[in-house]
Amino acid sequence: MGEPSRLFTGLKILELGAGAAGPVATRYFADQGATVVRVESAVRPDFLRLLHFRPGDPHGLNGGPMFVLMNPNKLSVSVNLSKPEGIEVALRLVRWADVVSENFSPRAMAKWGLSYERLREIKPDLIMVSSCLFGQTGPQRMYPGFGGQGSAIAGFNHLAGWPDREAIGPAGTITDSLSPRYVALLIAAALFQRERTGEGQFIDVSQIETGVYSLSEAIVRASARGEVMTRRGNHAEDAAPHAIYPCAGPDRWIAIAVFSDEEWRALCAALPAPALASDPRFASLAGRLAHEDALDAALAALTRAHEPYALMTRLQAAGVEAGVVQNCADLLQDPQLAHRGHFVRLRHRHLGDMSFEHYGIRFSESPRRLETPGPDLGEHNLQVLGSVGYGEDEIRALTQAGVLA
Amino acid sequence: MLDGIRILDLSEEPGFLTGKILGDLGADVVKLEPPGGDRFGRRGPYLGEIADPERSLRWLALNTSKRGITLALGTPRGRELFGRLAARADVVLETAAPGALEALGLGWEVLRAERPRLIWCSLTPFGRTGPWAGFRAHDLVLVAMGGNAALTGDPDRAPVRCTLPTSYYAAGPDAAAGIAMALYARERSGRGQLVDVSMQECQLATLVTAPGSYSLSPQLRSRTGARLGGTREIWRAKDGDVTFGLRGGAARIPSLIATVAWMAEEGMAPAWLRELDWKAYNHNLLSAEEIARLESAFSAFFATKTRRELFEQALARRIMLAPCNDAREIVEQPQLRSRGLFTTLEYPELGARIEHPDFFAKSSRGRIGIRRRAPRVGEHNAEIYGELGIDADALRELASQGVI
Repeated sequence: MGEPSRLFTGLKILELGAGAAGPVATRYFADQGATVVRVESAVRPDFLRLLHFRPGDPHGLNGGPMFVLMNPNKLSVSVNLSKPEGIEVALRLVRWADVVSENFSPRAMAKWGLSYERLREIKPDLIMVSSCLFGQTGPQRMYPGFGGQGSAIAGFNHLAGWPDREAIGPAGTITDSLSPRYVALLIAAALFQRERTGEGQFIDVSQIETGVYSLSEAIVRASARGEVMTRRGNHAEDAAPHAIYPCAGPDRWIAIAVFSDEEWRALCAALPAPALASDPRFASLAGRLAHEDALDAALAALTRAHEPYALMTRLQAAGVEAGVVQNCADLLQDPQLAHRGHFVRLRHRHLGDMSFEHYGIRFSESPRRLETPGPDLGEHNLQVLGSVGYGEDEIRALTQAGVLA
Repeated sequence: MLDGIRILDLSEEPGFLTGKILGDLGADVVKLEPPGGDRFGRRGPYLGEIADPERSLRWLALNTSKRGITLALGTPRGRELFGRLAARADVVLETAAPGALEALGLGWEVLRAERPRLIWCSLTPFGRTGPWAGFRAHDLVLVAMGGNAALTGDPDRAPVRCTLPTSYYAAGPDAAAGIAMALYARERSGRGQLVDVSMQECQLATLVTAPGSYSLSPQLRSRTGARLGGTREIWRAKDGDVTFGLRGGAARIPSLIATVAWMAEEGMAPAWLRELDWKAYNHNLLSAEEIARLESAFSAFFATKTRRELFEQALARRIMLAPCNDAREIVEQPQLRSRGLFTTLEYPELGARIEHPDFFAKSSRGRIGIRRRAPRVGEHNAEIYGELGIDADALRELASQGVI
């Protein structure tokens, strides 16, 4: 038996950049059989290789867990792009690639002579995607921010948290996880288009704009009715109860969402909560919304006694939307995620066994893979450069000259 | 980019964004609603405060670039018509509970036999199979079960979500990506396939590898409110909040130096801060006292400035600081406007013009973006059913029977 056929077997992607927003996007393809080569350098390392770095760390640039977890199934070549010979190596790799994906700040690729205009001269059907915080054009394109700044500018922070507290935003610098989904989508759509037309293209993605696009409802409501949506805890305008309630145990919580009167009656029967069922204030959605604080307090007094998973199972069986607020330990034991094969244990040569993650998409005809942890810097210099025509002597000379560094 | 691809879109609200993305990319998206319209998806708030499904702002925001038809899948004639519509489609997109369409005889397994090129995307809370596949969930339960809520919020209060459904915004583009990937694969293999998307699983990517880090070093993180990794991330300016970080390694240090230089110009940098050795600075090594001292100096400075003043200087001095914008500030943001992010759509029958975010990317092959406003209930019945040879008289009869 050979390699199982995957969606992108044979596809070649060259990745330049750092952090999460670029590298997360190419993994969709690596997991489906594509060869993804990261071009990086010790001269200017990916900041994720250094995020948890402490002086004396024995593994140096190769022991950053976030980097390792975010870049499985990829190959790494170390190329110093500040040297002309380094640019030559990069151009040779572009000739090899179907797709170039980069997330540097806007001027970087052009500075190295690696603009799309240049690259398409040597690879006419190249697909190239550039993704940075604000996009490649416009007066503020050089603004230097991380995902945390992107989420704030796009509007997520203002919409998440409590009305009397700071605009905290959803955990995890949301544009860092949102924009890669869109970059992956655009690479796939461009590949589809290349199959049909034989032509490549350049795509300029603004990470912040992927956030604003996703929040279309807030923009449309502002334009159509002058409404400035804001954070309101867990409450919703069309459901009540709609909140997160305490359960038995330290920091244990359950989310409960009731959209209809039928679901409300089912909740009262399942808890059970006969006093709430007969309380006229809570009989209709309008009443429950009008008395939401009293409703939340009454429910919290009841949920507090319950083990969260047992309560979730009981409420779901009664037709009520309920879900445990799962922490990282819970997720690693979640039977549904286990059924989906979400986590895969791989051994990293420096860090040991770790749980790597798959994406949320399953293809019936194409099994995904998770085979190797994120690579050491330059781990695949010999293999990758060899495959694009460099001899071992040349590779050795380039290494000694500080080009492969 | 997806010109010539027909998507038959049965999805309810969690799938609205997926169909919109595919339509904006050029696919011919035909949105199928029950007769009378999607009651829940077309809920308020309404344009002009008039409770009318044609005025639902949620619907108008998330269903651009689609045509709309109605069909009652619960009727035998409806099921027959669905089969004929699906036979003309490249992709079916649906958000039904696992097994619900199968119970009507309309599932993927049924249709694939007749149409091996068909791609079927099923977007469900927990995936199509598994012990919790039958659980029901909208956004709140998804952000809880997917791990984000546990880390979002203040330490002294319950976990919290975003007021708009971020779990749909995570899964929506993933489902669209899955469809585009299956379309690419079909060009090469000639075969369609099932694309099974779990919204819970899509949520986990928002944790940016936190579960994997926990598997390596099992220390549970909890909610830290305005802080992140031990240091403050959200700060109070004179008129609202901004983001600014003390963490992030070497990439953040030039920004910290530039901030201190600005503070020094305004006489608000204490001597110890002006003399700090940034070459030796490592946020991982700061003591609680050092963090408190740094935070009190930056807090005092930011509190004297408006968000606009802070962001203007952030741009000029390359400081990693940004305002926590609301919707009104976003549509006025000069960079976003300069790229033409916003577009105004006309709603003549409602007497309205509404500004929408257009597409977030530009292609060298030409414009990508909104093709048309969201459809009215059954707006394109004549066009789409006409393709099946159903004429106006037959349509009227179908309507009177409650099929469309």
